[in-house]
Amino acid sequence: MVVAIEPEEKTEHPIELVLARLLRLGSLVAAALLAVGIALMILGQTGLAPKLITAGLLVLLGTPVMRVIAAAVIFVKERDWHFALFSLVVLCALAAGIYFGKEM
Amino acid sequence: MVITFITIFAIGIAAGVVGAILGLGGGIIIVPALTLGFGMPMRTAVAASTVCIIATSTGAAVAFLRDRLTNTRVAIWLEMGTSLGALTGALVAALVNQRVLFVLFGLLLAYSAYNMFRTRKEHARPEVIPDAISSKLRLGGSYYDKALGRRVEYQVTRTLPGLIIMYFSGAAAGLLGIGAGIFKVPAMDQVMGMPFKASSATSNFMIGVTAASGAVVYFARGDVKPLVAGPVVLGVLLGAILGARLMMRMPASKIRLFFMPILAYTAIEMIYKGVKWW
Repeated sequence: MVVAIEPEEKTEHPIELVLARLLRLGSLVAAALLAVGIALMILGQTGLAPKLITAGLLVLLGTPVMRVIAAAVIFVKERDWHFALFSLVVLCALAAGIYFGKEM
Repeated sequence: MVITFITIFAIGIAAGVVGAILGLGGGIIIVPALTLGFGMPMRTAVAASTVCIIATSTGAAVAFLRDRLTNTRVAIWLEMGTSLGALTGALVAALVNQRVLFVLFGLLLAYSAYNMFRTRKEHARPEVIPDAISSKLRLGGSYYDKALGRRVEYQVTRTLPGLIIMYFSGAAAGLLGIGAGIFKVPAMDQVMGMPFKASSATSNFMIGVTAASGAVVYFARGDVKPLVAGPVVLGVLLGAILGARLMMRMPASKIRLFFMPILAYTAIEMIYKGVKWW
């Protein structure tokens, strides 16, 4: 374990801001797609509207998964192996949950 | 149709605000509103509610992360428990007696409601001494409390019991389809000794991940109906962004006061669900 290069300030701060930026981007894109989709639905564009709404929902669905992946990448970069491993466990459990869930 | 859209959207906003403040998924509002209020099938309501959990989590997390109210290290440590628990829950769902579980988890919630009520007046809580895992993983944190006008530093303890509770909370979500945040907030607040606001924000952060695998499954089965989920999810997203800002300015004691009746109500509802067919 590389304990020597673990300054508190450096390891504690960037991850929150990186994740916040990622989640903000995800929510903005999702909100825009949903809003346009709903507006088109009200205007009677029944062909395109559900597709846009579904796209918005899928973008939103992707954000928690993306943030676990992003956290894993940050922990690996910081050589914080414990937390990199924890993130990997979470990702594997998520993948297994999706796999088994579809089977049932 | 426009009226229906607007009503569903407004319900979403309310659920998002409440969910972001209390660290819950908001299913407690959305599922009854869609099934009882609009006569939608349970599957459609639960699928929409699951996507709403992600919307609450993502929408509120932006503000909470920036103000460091979310403890990302605690979140990832505990997410191991919730995600593995949810997986187990989904796998053994067919083998267990759900009614017994409803009663058991209901009693557990009733106990934590009682405990939260009992400790409501303890403003100065006993000093939290971090345990070995907490020190090693540097789980302690600090945030600037806008209601108090000062920085709050805290330590985390009983990390292993916390992880085990999260495992069962994840299993409850997988088995019973409820309880996204309702077990997590008391576990962090009462067992691990975290401040209430940090517990709520961290719970909020975690619930999105647990909900994601469920939501993918609902999508694959075609239970997510865009015309229902679209307006409610957009509402929840906006509500959560608003709710997060409100929460940061609210005193923890007031948030706790809102949380307790919801905890008690959910406990009674779960016990009732378990015993009503006996």
